[in-house]
Amino acid sequence: MIVCVAVVGHQNNPLYIQSFTDADDALKLHHIVHCSLDVVDERVNNPKKSGPTLNETFLGLLYPTENYKVYGYLTNTKVKFILVTTDLDVRDADVRNFFRRFHAAYVDAVSNPFHVPGKKITSRTFADRVSTIVQSFGLSSAV
Amino acid sequence: MADPASTPLGKMLLEEITPVVMVLCTPYVEESCLKNGLSLIQLLSPFCDFTNIDVPVRTASDQPYRLRKFKLRLFYSSDIRQPNLEVAKERLKKVITHVGEKNFRESSDPSQVNNLLSRPESEMLPSWFQFFNKELVRTLSFSDHEAFDHPVACLLVVSSKDDEPVNRFVDLFNTNKLPSLLNDGAMDPKIMKHYLLLHDNQDGPFNKATKLLADMRNAFGQNDCQIICFNSSQDGKIHHQDNPWAPFKSDALPTENLGCFLNLDDLNEIKDFMQELSSKHIIPYMEQKIRVLNQQVSATRKGFRNQIKNLWWRKGKEDTIDTPNGPVYTFNSIESQIRILGDYAFMLGDYELALSNYRLISTDYKLDKAWKRYAGVQKLGSAGRRNATRCGLWWAEMLKTRDQLKEAATVYFRICGEDTLHSAVMLEQASFCYLLSKPPMLHKYGFHLVLSGDHYKKCDQIKHAIRTYRSAIPVYKGTTWSLIKDHVHFHIGQWYALLGMYDVAVTHMLEVLASTHQSKTTQELFLRDFLQIVQKTGKTFEVLKLQLPVINISSLKVIFEDQRTNASAAAASVKESLWRSLEEDMIPSSTARSNWLELQSKIIPRKYKESNICVAGEALKVDTEFKNPLQIPISVSSVSLMCELSANPEEGKLPNSSNEVQNNEDRTSTSSGDINSCLILSEVDFSLEGGETTVVQLTVTPRIEGILKIVGVKWKLSSAVVGLCNFEFNSVNKRVVRGRRKQHSPSSDLKFLVIKSLPRLEGFIHSLPEKTYAGDLRPLVLELSNQSKFPVKNLKMKISNPRFLYAGNQKELNADFPACLKKKMNVEKSGSHANVNKTLQNLFHFPEDIFVQEETSLSWPLWFHAAVPGNIPLYITIYYEMEGVSSIMKYRTLRMHYNLQVLPSLDVSFQLSTRPSRSQEFLLRMDVVNKTSSECFQVHQLSSVGQQWEISLLQPVDSILPSQSLFAGQSLSCFFMLKDRRRSSTSDDSIPSISHIQSDVRLGPQDNSEAFFDVSSSPLADFHDCERSSQGMSSQGCEYKVDFVFIAQLPEGNSDSSSNTPLVFSHHACDCSPSSMSPISWLVDGPRTIQHNFSAPLCEVNLKMTITNSSDAIASVHINTFDSPSSNNQPIVDATTSQPPEHQSGWSEIPIVNDTKIITTEALTTRVPKSLSLESVPQFIWSGTSSTKLVLQPRSTAESPLQICVFTPGIYDLSNYVLNWNLTPVNDGENQGEANKSSGVCQGYPYYLSVLESNFKD
Repeated sequence: MIVCVAVVGHQNNPLYIQSFTDADDALKLHHIVHCSLDVVDERVNNPKKSGPTLNETFLGLLYPTENYKVYGYLTNTKVKFILVTTDLDVRDADVRNFFRRFHAAYVDAVSNPFHVPGKKITSRTFADRVSTIVQSFGLSSAV
Repeated sequence: MADPASTPLGKMLLEEITPVVMVLCTPYVEESCLKNGLSLIQLLSPFCDFTNIDVPVRTASDQPYRLRKFKLRLFYSSDIRQPNLEVAKERLKKVITHVGEKNFRESSDPSQVNNLLSRPESEMLPSWFQFFNKELVRTLSFSDHEAFDHPVACLLVVSSKDDEPVNRFVDLFNTNKLPSLLNDGAMDPKIMKHYLLLHDNQDGPFNKATKLLADMRNAFGQNDCQIICFNSSQDGKIHHQDNPWAPFKSDALPTENLGCFLNLDDLNEIKDFMQELSSKHIIPYMEQKIRVLNQQVSATRKGFRNQIKNLWWRKGKEDTIDTPNGPVYTFNSIESQIRILGDYAFMLGDYELALSNYRLISTDYKLDKAWKRYAGVQKLGSAGRRNATRCGLWWAEMLKTRDQLKEAATVYFRICGEDTLHSAVMLEQASFCYLLSKPPMLHKYGFHLVLSGDHYKKCDQIKHAIRTYRSAIPVYKGTTWSLIKDHVHFHIGQWYALLGMYDVAVTHMLEVLASTHQSKTTQELFLRDFLQIVQKTGKTFEVLKLQLPVINISSLKVIFEDQRTNASAAAASVKESLWRSLEEDMIPSSTARSNWLELQSKIIPRKYKESNICVAGEALKVDTEFKNPLQIPISVSSVSLMCELSANPEEGKLPNSSNEVQNNEDRTSTSSGDINSCLILSEVDFSLEGGETTVVQLTVTPRIEGILKIVGVKWKLSSAVVGLCNFEFNSVNKRVVRGRRKQHSPSSDLKFLVIKSLPRLEGFIHSLPEKTYAGDLRPLVLELSNQSKFPVKNLKMKISNPRFLYAGNQKELNADFPACLKKKMNVEKSGSHANVNKTLQNLFHFPEDIFVQEETSLSWPLWFHAAVPGNIPLYITIYYEMEGVSSIMKYRTLRMHYNLQVLPSLDVSFQLSTRPSRSQEFLLRMDVVNKTSSECFQVHQLSSVGQQWEISLLQPVDSILPSQSLFAGQSLSCFFMLKDRRRSSTSDDSIPSISHIQSDVRLGPQDNSEAFFDVSSSPLADFHDCERSSQGMSSQGCEYKVDFVFIAQLPEGNSDSSSNTPLVFSHHACDCSPSSMSPISWLVDGPRTIQHNFSAPLCEVNLKMTITNSSDAIASVHINTFDSPSSNNQPIVDATTSQPPEHQSGWSEIPIVNDTKIITTEALTTRVPKSLSLESVPQFIWSGTSSTKLVLQPRSTAESPLQICVFTPGIYDLSNYVLNWNLTPVNDGENQGEANKSSGVCQGYPYYLSVLESNFKD
């Protein structure tokens, strides 16, 4: 189950962060997302190998905590997408697919002429779409 | 290769990993030692550390080397076991608490992340970590897994006082008392023993001891027995200059004289003994052991160098799994032996042997592998956990040494156990690892600090918690991770409050106060806690940057009055440029626009012109916008300005010229209304709902001269916290409304020069309606009152919109309205337009003898006319001069501003058309529609302006509008005849006498004897002039232009209850002219009815066309007659009835009976082609010339004969002709408009001719 998705701007400012849990753990998830930015920076600055991963936007598993797995994705405008999940057995392809759809939703949201770049994404359509993607993530991984 | 002692790890290892000597002694020994205030171990410890022992060592390799540094650790046998867990914990806790107290007091926060990183590493890393780690490691010593802490040798000490010392020695090494390590088989019990006899010289002669020594030597061997005599000093007065025991007895009081019975000989003896013990016994023993073990290991495992890690530890792992009760290695297992070998070699400094030619730094690495294994394997049980902790600590240290700080942090993180306090420390250390790693991982640094703080808090280490949280602040500062930021600040605030440090708590709570993103409940919690803390402080806080409520500084508006005064707040909000354009020609130019030539500029000091001026006793107003960013309501009270009033430096005569006015307490007391104080400040209370914004007007009134500076605003939040907002620091966007000089620095915009009290007129217009109907005409009274002690004179008034407001005559003040508007029979009309020029300039000079005396008021009549509907702003500015009061200000202006809402009332439109038959008469159609929703107007009169028009009703109004009142939505059409009196008097033969000239028509009841309203006298005439000029009409031009004034009344007692007098409504229409006025008009004249005997073939009818050129140009006119192309012989008998009525839109044709019928030109033009197309069968032909050309001089008339032939009787429409006209302008460029339409085509208009069959034959 995805517990949290986040969009973080290129100055490491949170643009959108949404948790999908019932518990009041927003602060914890904020911390996890905030922390993972270090790993993103690390990945970006020290690419493991060149070649096929050169233009790879998917950063893979950023770090495993005790209960969560954190995945990252970096767009070419240095906007980071963070996914926090409780699933311990996640297929990479699922996550890639998720990020691809999430990216599309994000692009649509910021293409809105009323969206101010660098400000938080307040679009309700975006939120709805993200929650749909999040729900379908659970389904596709179950299949 | 780095010197091992230079790194913290190396130092730690050299200190900690040294051979352990187990000490067994009898109570007498201890007793003797305690005479010196020392235990045996304490006594011996200073002499166990050898920095230059210089012992040759030969271990496994054949190369001997010399060992320089060596150290022994002495422990009582009872201490050689794992320490009590609880006690250890307690001790660690004490350590932490102690450090917490100390650091808490010293701590200073780095404010910026950059600062944080720029500091040297040693400063950054709290030094107590080292200490703590050491303590922690100590609690974990003597595990059964490693040989470092296993005793290498055993020192048995017996006092000479003991009975049978030899037996005592045997007893001491009784298995029951030995530590479990030796008993449970983890260690080889056959360790080296050394026997020491301690002789206290105070107890007796030395020879007894020597005898005992001999016995011992017999029993235990020659080399292993020794004797030490001590306490040689009898009086115990020996002072040791540099006390060697001090580091080993931490709780010693400075006054205590340690080793008071030990003289120099004793010390030397002890020293020699220890050196001998190490160099002659322990080191050779270890050497030998190493060699033996090495031999064994080499025998069992070939090439053990390469296998050391694999075999050793894999095997160990397997062992652990096999015996889940705990990893137990027996001493004689090969693993244990290898282990001991390695450890011994390490302790002897033979690192090459110990770890296969790796250098020390690589040695660390190897060891780290080992401990990692430990940490990974030993997960079961607290013993394993604690061991893991120690191994982890060392491992982390090693990683740190090797700059693998990230990994070190991970290790720290992983060794967090269930003990929260230790976890907290570990997490904090981890956070520093992240901080120090390259590049720094600040996010993780912050996160681990927060985690650590949480753990500290759980263990009630609040000070540590605060410290860690505060260290985390710079990480989150300036970012938008507000949820985390709020959490950190809120908790710091709470914890400070727990510690009773409310001041600091408040500053942190302030950070979270204006957190708009939080939920409502969280906001409530924040605010509640904040207020609680503030209450606990017991004083009112003054907070410079209180974010609650938010003040929008950019919307700050300062309203002050220098020579420009405002009658109302509405006037103050009007743009300055508007007033200035209004006042431009009214105020003396020298002050309005001064140049260097003006004398004025020399008189008034430059400073006065540069700074804003306000007058003592007059209030300065500041509009401030407050916004509540939260979702919960807040209450704000005692909002007032903060001002400073200082003496004018040039005059310096202010009584209280000191700066004490800056003191806030002083000002609050002044604001309570103390008249004698120099400033009066207003106070406002209000409460704001969630998200609400309000604008508050604050005033300050200086009472004495000086320089007034508005510093800021302050308020009280929930009557607990005083918020201060300084206007200065963000003054770039500030907008000072009255500020004339925009190039000034903003700070000077809030600085005012207070000058002596001046007269100030108050102005008010009585009974000016806010809402009225268009056309409303009424008198008003302007009241100007002067509250000061000085008279003002030279009053002038300018009104922005003279269409609406107009100054009357003083004698009109008490005139009876509306009777004063009526025509008075006996009054001459002379001079009625006397003040036309005045009104056109909009500037009204009050008569020169008008003064507004001190403390009196002046009333002046005004006329009001609601000219057009809409929202109408009215600006009135009144200029006045004071005499001899101030040199700085000679005049002032009073600005008044009113907004009127004028509703549409009656829509009056006029249509003027030339009467076809008579060129000097016009038909006037007036359409009146009542556009109101409820009002019922009484129509009163229609007047034409000027003397030249005579107006008369075509039919009595009674027939059209019997009630004479126009109800809501009702419309009325009236037709009038209009005669040009000049023309008719000259050209027409009927000359009306002057007395009969009627330029007014009564529309009301005809029998009413009420007089007409006089449209030719003030104010109607004046308003009419305004209407003319505003409607953009010039008085010249075409002479067929008439102005009308339509007057209606709203009877008294109607829905407008504000007045009892009837309201008069006048509607002005200017320059009405015939709609399609062409310069050519013509008239076909001829018989209307002809009787003809059609026995004769045709009937000729002669007609006459009179053509008038009314233009100023020469006109050439073609009259083209044409017959219908079709030759249908059907006569049109009663043409009108044959026309389908649906083709006539909106106009019902009535058969022409007489030409009183008004035909609009529009209807005419549409009708003509229709009738042509439909009927198209004229049964007549034009005879004579089909085209006639005439040339008409300007303003002349010509005649042209026309003739038709009729063949059958019938009614004929003689409209099938066209007039083509061309104007040749006279050579003056004036009438460009005329010249443009210099040609045109006119259709003929209907002329019906009835031709009848004559009955009689001639």
